[in-house]
Amino acid sequence: MKTYIKKFSEELFSGLKSGEQLGLFLHSEDSTFLRFSQSKVRQNTSVHQHEVTLQFNKEQRSLKMRFNLTMHLEHDLQSAKHLLDDARVQLMQMDPHPQFIALKNNGTSETFKKVDRPADSEVPGLIYETYKDTDLAGFWCSGPLRQASINSEGQFHFFETDYFFLDYSLYNGPKAAKGYYSAEKFSLPEFQAQAQATKNKLNLLNRPMQTIPRGKHDVYLEPMAMAEILGTMSYGSLSQGNFNKGYAPLKKLKDKELKLSPKFSMTENFDLGLSPLFNSVGELSPNKVNLIENGELKSLLTSTATAKEYNIETNFADVSEAPRSLDVRAGTLAEKDALSKLGQGLYLSNLHYINYSDVQTARMTGMTRFACFYVENGEIVGPIQDLRFDESIYNIFGDNLVELTKESSVFVSTMTYLKRELGAFKTPGALIKNFNFTL
Amino acid sequence: MQTLSLSQELPKRFGSLFEQQFNHYKNKADFVAFKMISETTRDFTVRNGKPDMMHTFHDIGVLIEIMKDGHIGYGATCELTPDGIAKAFAAAEKMTGVSSKYPVAKFDMSVRPKSIGQFKSQRQTGLDQLSAAQIYDFLKKTSLKLKVNDKIITASAEAMVIECRQKYMSSQGANFEQDFNIIVSAFSATAQDGAETQTRSLHGGRGICLQIGSEFFDIDRTLAECEQTSAEALELLTAPNCPTETCDVILAPDQMLLQIHESIGHPLELDRILGDERNFAGWSFVQPQDFGSLEYGSKIMNVVFDPTASNEMASYAFDEVGNPAERKYLIKDGILQAGLGSLESQYRSQISGVANSRSSSWNRAPIDRMANINLEGGSHSLEQMISEVENGVIMYANRSWSIDDYRRKFQFGCEIAKQVKNGKVVGTLKNPNYRGITVPFWKSLKALTANNTVETYGSPYCGKGEPSQVIRVGHSSPYALFNNIEIFGG
Repeated sequence: MKTYIKKFSEELFSGLKSGEQLGLFLHSEDSTFLRFSQSKVRQNTSVHQHEVTLQFNKEQRSLKMRFNLTMHLEHDLQSAKHLLDDARVQLMQMDPHPQFIALKNNGTSETFKKVDRPADSEVPGLIYETYKDTDLAGFWCSGPLRQASINSEGQFHFFETDYFFLDYSLYNGPKAAKGYYSAEKFSLPEFQAQAQATKNKLNLLNRPMQTIPRGKHDVYLEPMAMAEILGTMSYGSLSQGNFNKGYAPLKKLKDKELKLSPKFSMTENFDLGLSPLFNSVGELSPNKVNLIENGELKSLLTSTATAKEYNIETNFADVSEAPRSLDVRAGTLAEKDALSKLGQGLYLSNLHYINYSDVQTARMTGMTRFACFYVENGEIVGPIQDLRFDESIYNIFGDNLVELTKESSVFVSTMTYLKRELGAFKTPGALIKNFNFTL
Repeated sequence: MQTLSLSQELPKRFGSLFEQQFNHYKNKADFVAFKMISETTRDFTVRNGKPDMMHTFHDIGVLIEIMKDGHIGYGATCELTPDGIAKAFAAAEKMTGVSSKYPVAKFDMSVRPKSIGQFKSQRQTGLDQLSAAQIYDFLKKTSLKLKVNDKIITASAEAMVIECRQKYMSSQGANFEQDFNIIVSAFSATAQDGAETQTRSLHGGRGICLQIGSEFFDIDRTLAECEQTSAEALELLTAPNCPTETCDVILAPDQMLLQIHESIGHPLELDRILGDERNFAGWSFVQPQDFGSLEYGSKIMNVVFDPTASNEMASYAFDEVGNPAERKYLIKDGILQAGLGSLESQYRSQISGVANSRSSSWNRAPIDRMANINLEGGSHSLEQMISEVENGVIMYANRSWSIDDYRRKFQFGCEIAKQVKNGKVVGTLKNPNYRGITVPFWKSLKALTANNTVETYGSPYCGKGEPSQVIRVGHSSPYALFNNIEIFGG
């Protein structure tokens, strides 16, 4: 793919006219998706998907045009040239773009990564044999994924990774426990150990069901539950552009009207190594961008386009201004002590379908999901019926944050809408008091 | 003006290759089908009268279906060459063979009918006749209309103009083509004054979703609607918060779209009920034995699956495995009748279903999806409905949504509400929210406005599936009155 996209882009650059610039962003994947239910295969899909986005710049105007590569050079050049010819006409009928940024050469880089994983053809049998004594629903995803950002000013960044994950849950009737496995090097004993840990958690659900009244309860959020909250925060809340346009859940934090707990720090941290350092236009982010430090907002994710529009500094976020490699700083609580420190309250392994119920007060609503338990005297009493919460970030990560765990978990993105998404969260678990449940 | 003619050119360029390759492979497995999807999207946003996002996307690829020992597997590729198709077929054949040793179900050919025909979205003038400059000009004018004064900090107008063609051929003899013209649009004004920020939009974010041609771009009508939208955004800056109480609630059609979608559509999907979605989208409170007996809502509740509705976004003649699409009652007089299940789910569950095997594009396998799910009208006028409310609110346009994985406990928020006291509208409220539990909520449905008040909206982004997919859905509804609902404000 690297050789192909290089030749393809060079052919296109050679046809540019004076005053024109062209950038290319490549997303390419050869993916195997295996969907499971009852520990058996429901659907298998092999996908070969290669799409390129052309960014055509001329006279302070810009148009992005995405299309799929057939991997037949003549066909692909025909499509690209067709689009560029159209763009030359269309662009001049529109106004200059206030966020227009001329393309520049942000250097060159090449990164290749490959994990050690089982052959795809072994996976259906592996899953069946490991989980045939239970009921697994979920999916396996594997295969190479490539991204590149190239432009007519000489820039060439190429990133290729080959990874896998199994995202699943186990069922005993309506009782369910969540599992997840991804590794740099697949290890059968490690895989089987995590499977057993999830089965053990499922067994805890056999204890008597507890009915919990609405109201405020102390909770322990497992890292996976934390990742759900962080995922919702990532969707627009950390964007400088959104902030300026009026979508600003963290406005009171930015305006220093409110603070979060000094125990809470959040960084865009590319040292996790799971996302390319370059964004879709090839700009290189600093390895670390401090977003919230000791409870105070240090920066929002700012793309160069937003920086230009509002005359502020860029931190080379991508156009979406969503985090690509979010890292919440760990705390001091040993995970093994979480239950005893909680004492009485709710142990929440997962949360579900979170959305802001009031953006201005950063209030979120969502549900508990999977293995969630009532805890008394530091011991699990039994599973709870699902509860709805409605609580503000200013409480969750503010005065009500008791402690974060020493241990953190890394979650490779399992998002596969339209295409596989690169990215990761690293987060500890959290002990939080007075979490508000409403239904 | 030159249009983006690649949308016309690509399916022509690859059409003969598609048929040649299908004929080459059609006898190489127990069952083989090829589906080609070619879709062009022009997605333009104008903010405060200036270009914001100008994107086009030409998506074309082929999905290959293979049946081996009753298990169906898939290979998908955009490498539209003989070598590319060969690679996709080989990958599908290999993984389908391995997976067929551990199948959830073994199907027979009844799940892939021999359907032949064509479908074309209803339209006066095709979207291929619409130039980029025409779209831009429309959005610029409407965006400027939204920005009535400096308190409107963001005035945004967006249009996604979509031309989609599907072609399907199977070794069973199926051969059909469908040609869709779709427009999704969003117009919103965000007003800010000091610490207060409020956004009002035309029927919620991207709620306007239709199968329609370029006649959609009616500038005079849209300018008038944008003027009203901005005025309401400004009004919200000084409006009181929605109170916290239990009272009557009237939901406007642009909120009902979400209520229908989340608390009727998703729980009735048979693949959820069968457990396929448990790890991601969730399960369902509906049990297989509930069909034909569950009292889902009050007796005035009639809900149909209707892929035959003119101009509604998810209309089609066949689902994506060739099941002919027909209108069907899901809920009749409040009683659950049928599920949203494809031929595969019907085969597995033996529950009555519909033609709803759909995928987001060529790169995803079809699964059970909503299409057009509509609530039929009643007998009230809106004025009569309001007159019957002693203490309540009318809520418009969704802005926040959340529901549990069994589709029971929900909480939804709207952009604006009108307070009703003693049968009259007495003021505007900001930050209205309500919550409830699905079946008790629908049992509290007390009145519906008549069919001539029904409005049609939709969503381009219904998420589901592993790997994940988005799908386009349509929802029509009248105004609906519910008794004794928990409401609250910001």
